Amino acid sequence: MIRLQRCADCGAAQYPPREVCAACLSDRLAWESATSLPARVLARTRLHHSNEPRFRPRLPLTVGLVQFDAGPVAVCFLAETAAPGDAVQVRIGADDLLEAA
Amino acid sequence: MTARSYDGVALCCPVTEPYVRRSEHGAAWFLARALRRLLDASNLAKPDIDGLCVSSFTLHPDTAVAFTQYVGMSPRVLEWLPMGGACGVIALRRAARAVQAGDAEIVACIAGDTANETSFRDLLASFSSFARDAVYPYGAGGPNASFALIADVYMRATGATREDFGTLAVAQRANAQRNRLALLRGELTLEKYLAARPIAEPHHLFDCVMPCAGADGFLVMPEARARALKLPFLRVLGAIERHNAFPDDPVQLRGGWAMDRDALWAQAGIGPSDVQLVETYDDYPVISMLQFEGLGLCPPGEAPGFVRRHEFTIEGSLPHNTGGGQLSMGQAGASGGYLGLVEAMRQLLGKAEGRQVVSARHALVSGFGMINYDRGLCTSAAVLGRS
Repeated sequence: MIRLQRCADCGAAQYPPREVCAACLSDRLAWESATSLPARVLARTRLHHSNEPRFRPRLPLTVGLVQFDAGPVAVCFLAETAAPGDAVQVRIGADDLLEAA
Repeated sequence: MTARSYDGVALCCPVTEPYVRRSEHGAAWFLARALRRLLDASNLAKPDIDGLCVSSFTLHPDTAVAFTQYVGMSPRVLEWLPMGGACGVIALRRAARAVQAGDAEIVACIAGDTANETSFRDLLASFSSFARDAVYPYGAGGPNASFALIADVYMRATGATREDFGTLAVAQRANAQRNRLALLRGELTLEKYLAARPIAEPHHLFDCVMPCAGADGFLVMPEARARALKLPFLRVLGAIERHNAFPDDPVQLRGGWAMDRDALWAQAGIGPSDVQLVETYDDYPVISMLQFEGLGLCPPGEAPGFVRRHEFTIEGSLPHNTGGGQLSMGQAGASGGYLGLVEAMRQLLGKAEGRQVVSARHALVSGFGMINYDRGLCTSAAVLGRS
C-alpha cells in the first residue's frame, strides 16, 4: 500500500512524511492508504551513473518527478513509457519504493 | 522593511588553498590552511581574529565549535554556516553585521572540505533526512539526477538546448585555462561538450562538477582598520539571502533571488547593467541560467536568448565565472560556495593575474545551496564594488 499524510486540522497533504504539518504545524496527521495513487509526471531523467554499487548492474535507470493529484511531489522510478505530462498511477514496487506507470 | 547598508565594512584578502582531486588530509587541515593564508595575507596574528565563520561538509561530526579548539582560537563571534553553495555570501553578511555592530572587529570567513574515495558517497547518502529517505533510494544519482529533473523541465519550459548549457561550460573552460588554480584546463569545444557521455539525461559529463578538496577564505573588518593595515579592500553595496523560497512551485524553475533581487539592486544603488562581471553558482549550467533570470540580468524564462546574445569569456560582453567556475575549477565541497566570491574579489582588487577583466568596478556574486529534497533551498547574492 502507498501512504500519503494528510493533516486532520487543515487538510493539507504532504510528502515526504513529517511529524508535523508543514502548512499549519499541527501534529494531527492521518495516513491515507491506497493500492495506487494518481499523479502526473513532471520530469524524467535516465541515470547512467549511480553513486551506489548496488544500482550499477541495473543502469540505465529511469527516474522521475511526479505530482500526486493530492498535491505533493515525489521522486520515483518511472516506467520506460511514462513521459512528462502523462497521467500515471504510483504504487509501491518490489524494492518497497515508489514506482509510476 | 529596508535593510541597513553595509557602509563602513571592508572586504579583503581573498585566499585559496589550492584544490586537489583527492587528499589524505582532513577538512580541518584545509580550513586551517585557509586561516593561515589569511594571517599571512594580512600580517595579522591569530589572536587578532575575534570573529569566525566556518562552512564545511566533511568536518562532520565536528562544527565550527570544535574547530576553535582544533586551531587554538577564542573568537567572540562564531558562525557555523551549513548552507553549501550559498555560504560565502551568507558568511559575508553575518561577518559584516558583526563588524558594524561591534560584536567583532576582524572576522575570518573560511570554507573548506577534503575529498577521498568514499567521502562524496557518504555525504550524498546522508545529506538530509528527506534525501536519505525519499531521493537517494531512487537510483542514488545524487545532485546530478536531482538537477537533471529540473533541467528537463526547464528545457521544455524555455526552449533551452544543450548547446546553451554548453556555451556556458565552454566559456568557463576557456577562462579556466588562464587560471593556474583550476583543476580542469584541457581544451573544451562545443563539439566535445555535446559528444560527452550521458550521466543523468539531459546532463552529460561536462554539465557536472568534479568533487575535489580545497579551501577558500576572506576577511571582513572596519574600513578604518583595513586602511590602518594598508590592506586593499572592497565594499559590499548590497547582499541578500533567502531560504526555501516558493515552496509551492512543483518544480524549481526559480530560486529565492526572484524574491529579493529588487531589494538587492535598490540597496546597491546600481542595476544589472552596471556590473562588469558575474560569478554564479554553477553546479550545473542550468542553475547559472536560473540565476541570470532571478537576479534580473534577463526576464524569467529568457536565459536561453540571453546566453545566445552574450559571450562569457574574460574579454566577452559579460565575463562570467571568470576563474572557470566549479565546472572547471572543481567543487571542493562548501568551498564551492566561496569560489565565486573570492574570484570576484580578486577581479575587483586587480589581482586576477592572467585573467583580469579590464576596468572591473562592480561585480555580482550569487550563491545557491542545499538540495535537501527536490530543489536547492538556500539562495544568496551580493553586489561588490571597489573602494
